[in-house]
Order: sequence, then C-alpha cells, then structure tokens
Amino acid sequence: MEENYELAKWLAGEMTEAELLAFQNTPHYATYAKIADYSSQLKAPDFDSDLLYKNTISNSKKAPKVIPFYQSKWMKIVAIFVVFLGLTLFFRTTVTSTEVAENGKKTSFALPDNSQIVLNSGSEIQYKKWDWNNNRKLDLNGEAYFKVAHGKKFEVNTKLGTVTVLGTQFNVKARDNRFDVTCYEGRVKVIHNQHEVIITKGTSVTFDADTFEKQTIENTKPEWTANQIVFKKETLKHILDELQRQYNCEIVVNAKVNLQLFSGTMPTNDLKTALKIVSSTYHLKISKFETAKVILEDF
Amino acid sequence: MENTDSNGICEELIFSRFFNANVKSLRNYLYYKFGNEEKANDVTQESFIKLWENCKNVPIEKAKSYIYTIANNTSLNEIAHQKVVLKYAQSHTQNDRTNLNPEFLIEEEQFKQKLEKAIAGLTEAQRMAFLLHRIEGKKYHEIALILEISVKAVEKRIHGALVTLRTEIEQFK
Repeated sequence: MEENYELAKWLAGEMTEAELLAFQNTPHYATYAKIADYSSQLKAPDFDSDLLYKNTISNSKKAPKVIPFYQSKWMKIVAIFVVFLGLTLFFRTTVTSTEVAENGKKTSFALPDNSQIVLNSGSEIQYKKWDWNNNRKLDLNGEAYFKVAHGKKFEVNTKLGTVTVLGTQFNVKARDNRFDVTCYEGRVKVIHNQHEVIITKGTSVTFDADTFEKQTIENTKPEWTANQIVFKKETLKHILDELQRQYNCEIVVNAKVNLQLFSGTMPTNDLKTALKIVSSTYHLKISKFETAKVILEDF
Repeated sequence: MENTDSNGICEELIFSRFFNANVKSLRNYLYYKFGNEEKANDVTQESFIKLWENCKNVPIEKAKSYIYTIANNTSLNEIAHQKVVLKYAQSHTQNDRTNLNPEFLIEEEQFKQKLEKAIAGLTEAQRMAFLLHRIEGKKYHEIALILEISVKAVEKRIHGALVTLRTEIEQFK
C-alpha cells in the first residue's frame, strides 16, 4: 500500500488503530477531522424529482412516437395534391391557352367573358385567361368569327394586322398575305401595316399584299359558319388552300398556272360539288378522287 | 446488447422504480460535476429520456451504468466552458449543537465558508470523488464505477482533495 493515499484510507475508516493513533498526532489532524465532519453536513440543493419524472415520461413519449406533421404519409399525399392543384390553376390562368381547329374541322368556344368564337378549319387562337376582363387580347392564326361580349377593348392580333373592337360581331381571316375583316355588328378598327381603317356593320375590308379593298356585305354571319365558303376575287391557289383546310385533304394540280380570279360560293360539306365548281371554272378535270387526295389536270 | 429481460425497463412501473432509486444520485453527481443546478437537472432528464426511449435495448442490470454513460457523453461538450460555482443548501446547519457558545458558532460558520470555497476550488475530478463520498455516502468502489476509473484512482483523488482542502483552509487562517 502506498502511504500516499493514507488520507483516503482514513476517511473511509480503513486505518488500523496504530495508524490512526499516529495520524491523530500529526499537526494537521485537527483540520482534517473538521473537514471530514463539516463536509458530511453539506447537502446538494433540492430538486423536484417528480417534475423531472413527469418531463421524462412525457418528453420521451412525444419524441419517438409523434410523427411530425410533414412526415405523415397522408400529409405528403395531401401536400403533393395541393401543390399539383395550385400549379395547375397557376398554369391554366397565367400560361397561354390555345384553341385549335384542325383541317376539316371547326371549333367553337367561349372566352372567360363569354365572348363566342368560332374557329374555321386550320386555325389557331392563343390567349391568356389571367385577368382576361381587363386585358382582352388574343393571337389569331387563320380565320375566326367573333361575337364579342360588351366590355373593355378587345384586340385580335394576327401576323398581318390588328383588329380592335368594343363589343361586336366580326370575322377575321388572316391567311398567307391576305387579311380579311368583316364586320357584322358594331364598329371594328383594323390596323394593317400603317393603314388604319374603321369599318361598320355590313362592311368588309381586304388587304392583299399592297391592295386594299372595301366592300359591303349582306349577310349577318360569315358563310363558313353555315357550311359555305365565299370567295371574292381569289386566286386558284388560295381557293385550293381553303378547300384543303376545309376538307382536310390534299389537292394537287398538274396544270399551267392560272392567275384568273374567282368569285363565288362553294359548300364546305360536299367536296365533289366544290371540286366541280373549281374544275369547270378553271377548265380542269378530276383525274383522281380519293378521300385524302385529289388530282386535277388540264382538261 | 443482448435482450434478456425484454420488456423489463419498458414497463412504466419498473421504470419509475428505477428512476426514483437513481435520480437523486445521478442528478447530484452531475451537480458536483457542473456546479450548476439547471444543467444538472437537464442532463439528468436527458439521460432518463434516452433510457426510456431505448428501454428495449437496455437490460435492467445495465440501466444504471447506461444512464451514467449517457450523462457523461451528453456533458462532454459542456465541461470546457462551464465555470464551477457550487451552491450549498443553507439548511445544512441542521445540527443540534445550538447550545454551544456564540464564539464557537461564528468560528464554525467561518470554517464552513472556507470549506465551501476550498471545495469549489478543487479540480473537477477531485471534487466529484470527494463529494460523492462525503455527501452521497458512496463507497470508493461505487465511485470508481460511476467515474469509470479504478478504486486506486478514487483513493488518489480523495487523498489529493483532502490535502488541497487542508492547505487551502489553513492558508485562510
């Protein structure tokens, strides 16, 4: 035993009597004895062990067993659903909506303000639903008939020009270089290049390359909405383009270029009749007639 | 850890019995370590929470060393910046020697103050061993288990503590 730790031995009461006697005779014994005495009277401050226990039980039960809100499986599903719904709504209102009428078909639809639009075959309209009532603007590629609900400025943009109205019925046709606007009710402002024309009920304007023509019309609705196409001084190429759009077929002409202009009416639901009109006017014959392909040749 | 007594400490009754048997010594042990009641209470609670959470993996016979290990690990980061300030319950003068003369009482009070000051000045290792023995009445081999050191080391610390205390106190005279 190392005498080093004799004090520890003494404090634990493990000293032999002889050792104790010797120790009691040392000069420091009195202080050691006092230290031992008083230190045993010391006490750590009290604490509330019941509270500690309650906290322990309630805390630990919470920690492993309560699954945080965001970790619950159902909450995840709901969250995904909500995000998806939000995104859908966001895109539907802010992102451009597109309405398309394919070749051989016509589409009619309503805008958020209940304006009615009929799209002719092979046409497309793009617009934004967001804040529509204060920002009535759409892009047209092709031909469409508008019945605009009264309200703020309504604008139709095409590659060829812009049509602005305040609430009326009108038809816009923008194909190739030809820009036709017909007004059936109210007033319409047409801007084409630098030209600015205001047309009223029963008039139509045609911008073709550099020419500009104003006409009066009788009908109250575009003919194409009643399965008819009206051509006014149109070339064979434009007529065939229109027929191809209406009937969704391919028309090939194996003939000399004929620049004669045609005015007249053709049905949009009877290809054979339409082709007969075309072939008799331009002195052509139908050499092949199938649903998807027609070949016309010189007579 | 093997799982001999599977549900042992997970039974709330058993857990609460274990808690009541050990909470005071663990808490006081931590109090001697930190010299801070709040810290000691927090770490005590944390240790028991860990035990309760892991009750399935801790056999009852190992639970005691488990809570001390957790307490030691939890407080590892704390020790460095913890300034030791020991506060003693004032009620420790519960002696029945009130019939002694006032001069003696004053002297006694002075000694106690010196002792407290001297204890606060001990190293953490010495202080813990000394107080566990004096206040908690633990035997050296029990202290050795708690502190995870040998009995010899405990004796060394106790001895060292006594020497330091004695020199400190005599210096104040």
